[in-house]
Amino acid sequence: MAKTYTAQDITVLEGLEPVRRRPGMYIGGVGPPGLHHLVWEILDNAVDEAMNGHASTIGVTLHADGASVTITDDGRGIPVDTHKKSRRSALEVIFTTLHAGGKFGHRTYRTAGGLHGVGASVVNALSKELVATSKRDGARWEQRFKQGKPVSKLRRVGGARGTGTTVFFRPDATIFPKTTFDADLIAERLNVASYLHKGVKVVLEDQTASQTRVFQHDEGLTDYLRQILADRSARPVHEAPFSVSRNHETTSSRLDLVLQWTESTDEHLRSYVNGIPTGSGGTHENGLRAGIGKAIRNFIDTHSLTPKGVTLTTDDIREGVTGILSVFIPEPQFQGQTKDRLNNPELASVVDGVVRPALEHWLNHNISVAEAIVARIILAARARAASRAAQQAVSRKSATSNRLNLPGKLSDCTAPGAAGSELFIVEGDSAGGSAKQGRDRVHQAILPLRGKVLNVENAPFAKVLENKELSDLVTALGCGLGKNFELTRLRYDRVIILADADADGNHIATLLLTFLYRYLPKLITNGKIYLAQPPLYRIDAGKQTFWALDDSQRDATLAEIKQGNGRVKTEVTRFKGLGEMMPKILWETTLNPRTRRLLRVGIADQIRTDRVIADLMGRDASARFRFIMDRAEDAEALDV
Amino acid sequence: MAKRRKRRGVPLFDGLDSGADTVISRPEREPTVELTDAAESRYLNYALSVITSRALPDVRDGLKPVQRRILFTMWEQRITADAKPRKSAKVVGDVMGGYHPHGDTALYDTLVRMAQPFALRYPLIDGHGNFGSLDGDSAAAMRYTECRLAPPSAELLGEINQDTVHFRPNYDGTKVEPVVLPARLPNLLINGATGIAVGMATNIPPHHVGEVCTALLKLLDNPELSSERLCRYIKGPEFPTGGQVLNTPDELKQLYKTGSGSIRLRATWKSGPTTRGSKTIHVTSVPYMVNKAQLVERIAEVILARKLPPLVDVRDESTDEVRIALELKRDADERLVMAYLFRHTPLQTNFAVNLTCLVPTAVPEVGRPERLDLHQLLSYFLGFRLEVVTRRLEHELAALRRRIHILEGFETVFDALDEVLRIVRKSDGKADAAAKIMKRFALDAEQTDAILELKVYRLARLEILVIRQELSDKRKRTRQIGGLLKNEAKRWALVRDEIREINKTYGQAKTDPRRTLIESAEEEVEYRADDFIVAEDNIVLVTADGWVKRQKEVRDVSTTRLREGDTLLTALAGSTRATVVFFSNSGVAYTARIADVPATTGHGEPIQRLFKLKDGERIVAALSLDPRVAPNIAAKRAGATPPVHAVAVSSDGYSLRFSLEPFVEPSTRSGRRFARPTSGARVVGVARTTGAEVIIAATAQARAMLCAASDINFLSGPGKGVILIKLPRGADRVLGFIASTGDRDLLTVETNRGASQTVSTAKYSVTGRGGKGRELLQRGQFIRVIRPAVTVPTLVD
Repeated sequence: MAKTYTAQDITVLEGLEPVRRRPGMYIGGVGPPGLHHLVWEILDNAVDEAMNGHASTIGVTLHADGASVTITDDGRGIPVDTHKKSRRSALEVIFTTLHAGGKFGHRTYRTAGGLHGVGASVVNALSKELVATSKRDGARWEQRFKQGKPVSKLRRVGGARGTGTTVFFRPDATIFPKTTFDADLIAERLNVASYLHKGVKVVLEDQTASQTRVFQHDEGLTDYLRQILADRSARPVHEAPFSVSRNHETTSSRLDLVLQWTESTDEHLRSYVNGIPTGSGGTHENGLRAGIGKAIRNFIDTHSLTPKGVTLTTDDIREGVTGILSVFIPEPQFQGQTKDRLNNPELASVVDGVVRPALEHWLNHNISVAEAIVARIILAARARAASRAAQQAVSRKSATSNRLNLPGKLSDCTAPGAAGSELFIVEGDSAGGSAKQGRDRVHQAILPLRGKVLNVENAPFAKVLENKELSDLVTALGCGLGKNFELTRLRYDRVIILADADADGNHIATLLLTFLYRYLPKLITNGKIYLAQPPLYRIDAGKQTFWALDDSQRDATLAEIKQGNGRVKTEVTRFKGLGEMMPKILWETTLNPRTRRLLRVGIADQIRTDRVIADLMGRDASARFRFIMDRAEDAEALDV
Repeated sequence: MAKRRKRRGVPLFDGLDSGADTVISRPEREPTVELTDAAESRYLNYALSVITSRALPDVRDGLKPVQRRILFTMWEQRITADAKPRKSAKVVGDVMGGYHPHGDTALYDTLVRMAQPFALRYPLIDGHGNFGSLDGDSAAAMRYTECRLAPPSAELLGEINQDTVHFRPNYDGTKVEPVVLPARLPNLLINGATGIAVGMATNIPPHHVGEVCTALLKLLDNPELSSERLCRYIKGPEFPTGGQVLNTPDELKQLYKTGSGSIRLRATWKSGPTTRGSKTIHVTSVPYMVNKAQLVERIAEVILARKLPPLVDVRDESTDEVRIALELKRDADERLVMAYLFRHTPLQTNFAVNLTCLVPTAVPEVGRPERLDLHQLLSYFLGFRLEVVTRRLEHELAALRRRIHILEGFETVFDALDEVLRIVRKSDGKADAAAKIMKRFALDAEQTDAILELKVYRLARLEILVIRQELSDKRKRTRQIGGLLKNEAKRWALVRDEIREINKTYGQAKTDPRRTLIESAEEEVEYRADDFIVAEDNIVLVTADGWVKRQKEVRDVSTTRLREGDTLLTALAGSTRATVVFFSNSGVAYTARIADVPATTGHGEPIQRLFKLKDGERIVAALSLDPRVAPNIAAKRAGATPPVHAVAVSSDGYSLRFSLEPFVEPSTRSGRRFARPTSGARVVGVARTTGAEVIIAATAQARAMLCAASDINFLSGPGKGVILIKLPRGADRVLGFIASTGDRDLLTVETNRGASQTVSTAKYSVTGRGGKGRELLQRGQFIRVIRPAVTVPTLVD
């Protein structure tokens, strides 16, 4: 450690020295991304020429060694006249001085990717050798550099037709551990660039594989979108994508956007600022999202398309959106030199301000497309509601935290696994109380339902999901609903419907069966659903008590008693509701697995079942009327 | 399962032991039941239960089981019309405990309804306390209110103790309850009923008891009387809340013949006081089952929404009689206002009649649901009356016979009283005495028992005369009843007398006149929607993007709010009662009433909100059809060109003139066609013309056509028109046009170099239509036609 710390110890790095000392500060690192960054820097300069309308062809040559690259454009060529302030040629200044370039004033370039003015010089500093060639005014000028230092003067090496810039460079192996370029990566980047710059021809000559690829897209982003959709095999909801290109005068920026709603369930946005991909998004993407959301909401509001029962979130609105946003702005602020997140605060409102009215106008003038999109969004919202309901279902009852999600009314059993456990769906709180007290708490869970449950046959899915009683039931079952159904997650071995043996109890049982059949048919086909058989009559004979499930059994029991001991006085009582029974009696007659009677519900004929359920519970009252009239004779003892 | 089996050894249930003295029937466990079978049997059970013992009334007494149980319980406990009223909670509790093991709220609601004079034409229960109101207020809780039977209930229950109807055990077999009440009143028809069962429902309107009794008597005279004929006596429904039935007599006949139909019922009203600035209407009744408070709210909504400008205010001035005061502007047409309110508020409602009820079957406890016509309803009641009368007489006869038997015993012993006393004094107790008396006088046990129970005072000498008198009276009555029972005609006469009695007590038009008016003759006041539009002059603003709005006043069109990037297409003036027509680029015209264009100072609404435009369809022009702006659009004679009409030009150079007259009335959302441009071509504009203007059109390839508007053919229906300017196919298109009124009315176009160029009749000469047009630029194209600045139009009367 130095004994003194004085001004002498302060180092000021001159020229390009800091780049070589701290390459990470400029190109994000010395790994492969950093290495390729060198290419992007020079490429961006060429693209900038194309973007501002001066170049139409960009050539990139990956040399046979795989470690050196030449990039050419047919732009204006780098100026070669003497820079007054430094009394060196402009070309030399650009390549040897940090923060030198033509993109600070807005005169020559309106928008550009290479904006920190470090691009060319950084590449130069990190290259073992670099040759810059500029064709201007009928002459070809060339200057050579090594590790950022000129090794030759700028000289005229011959005549030339047209204009343009060519830069050859070979990264410095002392800085980069690996100096081999990835041709595919470069090709991908060139491909994207050619999409963003409609019509520009980009030629990649890959000498390592000795092949040449040409990228050119006359329809630009629309072509790109089509490509993305094909790659992702996403089916679009509407034919023609929405596209907007707008020059924003006040901020002298340009915006290109294509959007298409697809049937895929995620949102896929790619955004570019001045041709540079912004993988982490930024203010422009935020503006786009806000614009889409507001436009769609406005459209839905003005046309009163708001769905009932669900609320639309911005995620619903953008579900399945595939889009490409490309903006060109004069002074982009990126987070770091890796430029993958835009930070210009004003851009959010600019993008929003362009996208919202344009999208709304497009929707209004393409009503059928708009309706398809809105339908898709509402579908997304409903699906989200459905999956949320299904998610509430708890996978397993072991952890206490999971229990909190179970409906409060459920009196769960204590056995840890599904095996051997039973869920009793009980009609009414009064019966629920009896069942709760009378059950075997290890294996039997009780879920009381209040009153009549919803008839799902006529109710839309959303209404079914909103129904408290049914959603409690689904939660208690734990196996999910619809497409989220998973039999293995069923929390019980048997699901037993325990309804009063009166008219309303019968009705509730049919309502529950309808729900199970329509929404959880696999529970029935897998034999999980049972009907409990509570007794109808209680027969007291002396000190003994008998239970009878129906009239015939009652009569048989009475006859039996008479035969056994004719003297005994018998008394028959009819049960009204389960709540009338003592818990003990309920256990004896209906709950005790050793003594009770259960009916397992099965389906033999799918078509017939479907028709019967539709007839009994559907909208058509005349079908119900016919059924009642035809079958009135078959009715069992009526309850009055 | 393995886990389960392992546990078998220990008791599954640790809370209670499985009682040793309980024998449990154990059939085989867990058989599989088909879902359809389980659902069908359960559903059937439920459905039949609801139909036969919950929701439908019995044709005989017009009561549903729950109502019957309430009335019966109250009768049982003697809470009759002359008794002190009893707490409703007590009644509800007794009914629930005795006969009706269901929810207490349902029971109390039923009780309350039977006491509401606005729900039942002849309330069966006399309620004390708050029993709810026409405004939908609910009754006070049952612990506050008190009730007793109302007089008509006595007519339902009076004969209940005379073995007139079948009784069945209650739910726990401890009591018996009547299957039907021995009603003397035709309760089903006079009080009506509503109920929703399963697969069927019922909705029977109330009727006037006098009319029903008259019909019953007529039917008694001639059992063949058809439902139509019976309608002579039953004029129609008689709602407790009054109102007016609008159905024609024929409609009502049809309804009583089929047992179903719809009754149009509306409130009654009369003119109230008039002041200097306003006049008043008093609504004096509201339709049956309409909640008055909600009705007033709905009328208030109409006022607040400014849909009915002549109606200024609504006040509910009701006391025990209904009076809703409607305040109108002085010049308002009352009948027009009422016509609007009848149409748009529950001041007029429909009552869907469905005469379904339970009819008796061979099994006395079970009824069968059936939809009946008027004839059947009345016949069933008469049949039931005969049955009740017969059973009542039989009951009386049996009682008489028992009494005569005993009296005969008295008569026998009365001559030997001393001997009887001797026997009794010598005997060892009652049984011994009875045996000896029976032996001595040849009497049976019943008679002997009665003798032994005689009070000592009856041994007086005169008492035998009383007994003989009674015996002869009783024998006479027995003969009388015997005769009645043998002769059905005489019993029918009895039934008739009883119905007459009822008619006298309840059905007199003087004491209880009809409340509901049956008058269909009154001619309906027709009103048109625009009668109620506030007539005011508005400016309609239409933008190039198709957003429309209207404003009362627009001072400066440049300051109006536009969406970003949008520009104003046109501003139109007109009365709110007039219409505007929007022309689209695909040749469809959409007409809207100006009042229906959103009034706002904001952005307005997209035209697609008002009309159903196709994809890519845009509005290219709009015209006001206010007669002040567009006069003379009607042809002077059929087939002639109207003085003022319109001209349209398509992008492919075709053009047509057409009449605006078919577009005056508001169109549907799909609009009406005014032109049929060829496929690929679009209408570029529509302008108003008189035929005197010069059409100046410009194309993208910088050609222009100037020709007299009268050159362009006037089409009587939508078509593609005639060639205005001949264009090379696919290589050029018309950008726009104007109908120029003179040299100073010019068309301005923008060239591809950013310059603008004007085309006018001053610069170029007018030619005939159909040529290739004049080339205006040597090199270069036109980009677009620059619309002249929009100015605020003014209206001149």
